[in-house]
Amino acid sequence: MSLSDRYSGTSQQSRKDAEPTVDSCCLTTDDYRGISLGALLDRISADGLAPGGGSASALTVAFAARLVAMVARCSPEWDDAGGVLAQANAIGERAVDLAHTDGRAWDDALVALRDAEVAADDDPRRSFALEQKLEAAASAPLEIASLGADVAALAAAVGERCDATYRADAAAAAALAAGGAAAAAHLVRVNLGIRGSDPRLARALESEQMARELADGLLETT
Amino acid sequence: MSRAATLSDAELVRACRAGDPEAWNELVERYSRYVYAIAVRGFRLADEDAEDVFQDVFTRIYTRLDSLRDDDALRPWIAQLTRRRCLDALASRGRETAVDEEGLGPEESADLAEVEEAFVVREALAGLSETCQDMLDRFFTRDQSYKTIADELAIPSGTIASRIARCLGRLKQALEPES
Repeated sequence: MSLSDRYSGTSQQSRKDAEPTVDSCCLTTDDYRGISLGALLDRISADGLAPGGGSASALTVAFAARLVAMVARCSPEWDDAGGVLAQANAIGERAVDLAHTDGRAWDDALVALRDAEVAADDDPRRSFALEQKLEAAASAPLEIASLGADVAALAAAVGERCDATYRADAAAAAALAAGGAAAAAHLVRVNLGIRGSDPRLARALESEQMARELADGLLETT
Repeated sequence: MSRAATLSDAELVRACRAGDPEAWNELVERYSRYVYAIAVRGFRLADEDAEDVFQDVFTRIYTRLDSLRDDDALRPWIAQLTRRRCLDALASRGRETAVDEEGLGPEESADLAEVEEAFVVREALAGLSETCQDMLDRFFTRDQSYKTIADELAIPSGTIASRIARCLGRLKQALEPES
C-alpha cells in the first residue's frame, strides 16, 4: 500500500469518525525502547500512524542483529567472535534508532499529505513542504535496507565459523535481515513512486539482493 | 603527525618544561577535548562556564607544570584540576552549600566515569594502525555501511566485517594486555 493509499484509508476512516487529529491520536510515535513488546505489537496492529512498515522492517533487522550477537557470544572459540558481537550490537542499536526515525518521518508525511488534501490548492510552498516530507520518509527505509544487508553479511560470517549448535540461529538471522531489507526496499520503491532511474532505488535494490543472496546461501547449507 | 604527537605523556611533560612550543601545542591538542568533556558532560556546565574552566585549567597547567610530581600522572592531574575548577564554577553559580565530588549525583558520576573511559579508548585507538583507526571510525562513529566502507577504501565488501573484528581484537589487546 502506498503512502497516499494508506493516507487515504486513514482519511476515510477519519471521515466516518469525528476527524481525529494527529496530536490527539493515541498512536503517536513514542520511545519503542521504553514500552513493552506487547504494547509495541499493539501499536503496530492498531489502525493509526507510526509504527508502520518501515519501523517494523527496522525492528526486524534489529532482531536479526541481536540474534547474530547471541550466536557470536556463544562461539567463544572463534577469534573474531567478540568483534562480530560488537558490530552486531551496534547495528542493532542503529536499526532501532531508524525505527524511530522512520516513525517520525511517516507521521510528518501523513500530516503534510492531510494538509495538502484539506487545502486543496496549488500553493507552491505547501507542495515543496510536502515533497520534503516525502523525501525524508524515503531516506529511512533506504538506510534500513542497507543495514539489513550488513546484518545478513554478519550472519553469513557467523554461520561459517560459529559453534554448530547455533548455526540455525545464524541462518534465521540472515533470513530475517533479508526480509527486513526486502520490506524496506519495497517501501523505497512504492511509497514515493520514485522513478526507476533514481539512484536511491538502485541502492535499495542492491541491498535487498545482497541480503537475499547471503541468506539463501546460508539457508541452503544449514 | 608531528613529532610531539608521538611522545608519551611523561615525555611530553619534559618537553613542555624544556620550553618546546610544539610540545605545548600537542598537550593542548591532546587534552582539550578531555577537559571540555569533563566540564560539559561530567558537570553539566553551560558552554560559557565550560569555556571559563577550559581557559583556567590550561593557564594553571602552563604555570604549575613544575609542581607535577610524577610525569606519568599528567592525565589524573589535569582531571583533578578540571574537577576542582568545575566545582568552583558550580558553587559560584548559586549552589548555597559547598559542592564536593561526593555531592555529585550518580548520573554525573557515571558521566565522569564515561569521559574517563572514552579518553582511555581514544588513547588506545591512537596506538592502532591508521587503517584500523579509519575502519573503526567509519563503522562506529560515522555509521557507514560495509558497502560504503568497501567502496571508499577499495576493499572487497565481504571482508569488511572480519577486518573490523580484527581491529577490535587489537584494540581490546591494547586496553587489556593480559587478556
